[in-house]
Amino acid sequence: MTAEKTTAIARFFDGDLAPLVRRMADRPRAEGGDDGDGREVRAMVWEGLTGLDALGSSDTVGLAELLGSVLYQGPLLDTLTARELVPGDDLGRAPVALAVAEEPWTERDGAISARRAFVGFAAEVDHFLVGGVGDAGLRLALVGAGHPSITMRRYEETSRGEAYEVEFAGTPVAAWAGSAAEWAAALAGARVRQAAYLVGLAQAALDHAVEHARTRRQFGRPVGGFQGPAFRLAELSMHIDATRLLVHDPGAAGHAAACLAAASDLARTVTTQTMQVNGAAGMRSDNDAQLYYRWAAFESVRLGTPDRLRRESWEAR
Amino acid sequence: MTPVFTPEQDGFREEVCELLCEDEVRAEIARCRRMPYGEESGLLDVHRRLGKLGWLAINWPERYGGAGATIVEKAILTEEMIRHGVPDNVHSLGIDIVGNAIHLFGTQEQKERFLPGLARGEITANVLFSEPDVGSDLASLSTRAEPDGDHWRLRGRKIYNMKAQHSEFALCAARTSRGPVNYAGITLFLVPLRSMGVVVEPVWNLSEERFDLVTLDGIRVGREDVLGEVDDGWQVLGKVLPLERTGLDHSAKAERTLAALREHALPGCGQRLVQLETRVRAARLLAWRCVANLRDGRPDEVHSATAKWYASETAKEVAVAAVELLGPRALLDARDPAAIAEGVFDAGFREAPGLTLAQGSSEIMLFFVATSALGLPS
Repeated sequence: MTAEKTTAIARFFDGDLAPLVRRMADRPRAEGGDDGDGREVRAMVWEGLTGLDALGSSDTVGLAELLGSVLYQGPLLDTLTARELVPGDDLGRAPVALAVAEEPWTERDGAISARRAFVGFAAEVDHFLVGGVGDAGLRLALVGAGHPSITMRRYEETSRGEAYEVEFAGTPVAAWAGSAAEWAAALAGARVRQAAYLVGLAQAALDHAVEHARTRRQFGRPVGGFQGPAFRLAELSMHIDATRLLVHDPGAAGHAAACLAAASDLARTVTTQTMQVNGAAGMRSDNDAQLYYRWAAFESVRLGTPDRLRRESWEAR
Repeated sequence: MTPVFTPEQDGFREEVCELLCEDEVRAEIARCRRMPYGEESGLLDVHRRLGKLGWLAINWPERYGGAGATIVEKAILTEEMIRHGVPDNVHSLGIDIVGNAIHLFGTQEQKERFLPGLARGEITANVLFSEPDVGSDLASLSTRAEPDGDHWRLRGRKIYNMKAQHSEFALCAARTSRGPVNYAGITLFLVPLRSMGVVVEPVWNLSEERFDLVTLDGIRVGREDVLGEVDDGWQVLGKVLPLERTGLDHSAKAERTLAALREHALPGCGQRLVQLETRVRAARLLAWRCVANLRDGRPDEVHSATAKWYASETAKEVAVAAVELLGPRALLDARDPAAIAEGVFDAGFREAPGLTLAQGSSEIMLFFVATSALGLPS
């Protein structure tokens, strides 16, 4: 991503759009909730981002951090990963959801059957990139999202995000995509981007808490004037700084699992600690602090728990 | 200090567990977990059953609906109710805070007016302390009690309290006079909530249970509604608040989450589980030390602050660790068909930030220990 492109995308999220994007994390519960407005905003954001050529970005890590800082919710990160495995011409500017798991699936007569958990934005994408393990090991298949063999339901979960359980029951494969080795490389890139997203999210949560600490007065002075909260916020800031360097390091992909585990810990720690600084006000539905807390919980484990990521990193040596 | 229970106390714990494991009680608790969004439970049949047995406030005298037992039996009941997943805020607010305050500092008339109903699980009460601009710095509260003949009229707004919609009355802190220091001039009133002059509005939040914004718009209260002495509420608060800070509710919550985590954690998480188990055991020991202090009539504020801080931070750590160890499936709501452990992890995660804020924030506990136990300058 060139500097100009970064600035243009950051500007795109400025002003009136940023709170709308952030507030998408406060969408209705799955049960009976109509999220028509949220879908409209997400579609508008998708158009805006693709119009600014976010899909052609050369600095996707920087882009991911920017997306985390505005609490972006949508299929862009999954789509960037899919485009590393599927020729861009096949996808155009269409959004893609990843539904890859190293779990068994059935391939028969050019169709696949599998159930995949926690697939993001399944109801709003044009394609799924589905992965599964068969006789030939891990394979990836691109399938059209509109096929009647696909059913899905949105989860009721903490983040109140767009996470779905998706069932593919004899879904025709539009194209086979990538080898196991190519998937491993694409996954490393996806993990680094996810880590950067979490760094951006953590920074935004910290900024929110710092503002509260500057303005909220207790015992005759701003909360941030007390050493306890002030030192805690300073410490979080330094951890964010360190993790940011880690994920932007050119060699990050070589340590992708460990990097993501570190960013995952960071996001949960920062959002938990900043909830404390925000006090009871931070728990209110109309306060952004709880959005960061809930969203970090889900995003920090979406691509694997830190424990699993560290084990994988250790075993890969 | 490992808690030592008498055979009778062990027997009481068994009886409580048997009751809480009955099918109809379990079904009621399960219904509470799956209530439609925006609804929450108040007093339940299980509270009324415990009340009928004299167990809900078992440490109160029989004439007030208790069984004349000690604080140990009361703590056993609290611990088991939380371990078995009975929603605890109604109980802790009504019995442990407001009821206990009346039991210790109320007039005979106040005790007779309020305690039997609370102990039978027929009425409940909540606390009106925090205000929009006043949290930990409670002495700065601005709700006014304006003289009105022999009475007062209360005016102000109280926020971040819970269960006002289910409560018959509240323990409310208001300013009756202004002096050179903020601590002076605060009076505690027992305020009827279902009255003209009181408006209760929901403040939706992260957790399963709403906050309430309670506007006191001139409700009239008399001398008979004052708990303790006029202008001397701070002294009462100073004695009442540490009583709820045994940390036992938090250690029991941590135990409950940890038990579910142990059941659902994947292989390879053993070391982290051992670390959490050790913390939870220590939290429970600190909590029971506080209960023993109360039983022996020598409450220790440093012990209380230590137990509250340690147990609430531990409960929060366990709640967040569940997400870290189990991944997205820990975040499934009890209402989701794929939820594990009846959604205890999701509910616990959303409740967790409040644990280290309510009943005296972690910062207040740390400050108290730094200045009172370590003797550092304030």
